[in-house]
Amino acid sequence: MDSLKLTVTESIRYRGRSGHYSWIAHRISGLAILGFLMIHVVDTANAHFYPYLYAWSIDLFKHPFFGLGEIAVAGAVLFHAFNGTRIALLDFRPEWWKYQTQSATAVWVLFLVLFIPLALWLTLSIGTHCTALSAAGDSCWTIPSLADYSPN
Amino acid sequence: MTTISPAPKRTVRRANIGNDFERRAYFFMRMSGISLLILAVGHVFIQLVLNDVHNLTLAFVADQWDDWGWKIYDMLLLFLALPHGINGLRNILEDYIHNERTLRVIRGLLVAFLVFALVYAAAAIIFFDPAQARDVAETLAPH
Repeated sequence: MDSLKLTVTESIRYRGRSGHYSWIAHRISGLAILGFLMIHVVDTANAHFYPYLYAWSIDLFKHPFFGLGEIAVAGAVLFHAFNGTRIALLDFRPEWWKYQTQSATAVWVLFLVLFIPLALWLTLSIGTHCTALSAAGDSCWTIPSLADYSPN
Repeated sequence: MTTISPAPKRTVRRANIGNDFERRAYFFMRMSGISLLILAVGHVFIQLVLNDVHNLTLAFVADQWDDWGWKIYDMLLLFLALPHGINGLRNILEDYIHNERTLRVIRGLLVAFLVFALVYAAAAIIFFDPAQARDVAETLAPH
């Protein structure tokens, strides 16, 4: 536990400046994407093996809590993709290392420019979904019951 | 008699770059990563923006997986993204865990999960029957 605490505090404390923050963000976004992906891959495959379970799970994932998580994962994918491309380019062209600081900033700018409208769009979409369900006398906050998704 | 001293042997220094697993893994991370810039960002855009997730149903999956183009797209995503993610997790864990026995167990678990998930999901994409899925979708009450 002490070692974990030390790892976290020292990771943040290190004064590697822009490249260091990109490095931390790359790891955290990667872990977040993998956490999502492991569930997403098995869940989507269930569409073939357990279609009723799949139908329930995708309705569960329309809950606003999962909607917020989805916005976070979408953001993680954008940052990880842009920063990863930067890493790959710098690895294949070491002479471009002189642009390391500028490239790190460019990745953050590109990420924010695309992520902010995407996050707003997705938030709006959650709102539209909830309004539509309310109008139909239902609620987007209700957690669907697996029992409702069995074969008749 | 003059003796001509032989030219000194040229010292050739080479970095020891083997074609080992780590090197292949390093290369795979970069190549799959660049491919995923298009494939994964495209997937997010297609599924979250062009098709809102709130419209996602079993019938929608049946329509997409009735098309070999979407099947190939999803198969590429599966085989590039999952090994990329699992290897990335291995890299992170190896930075913080130094006990070789613990690492062997972790690597075994990661490989077991990777193989299971790849086989399970690839089988689902290949053997998915759109007609049968539409039948199931029709028996579901609208939610």
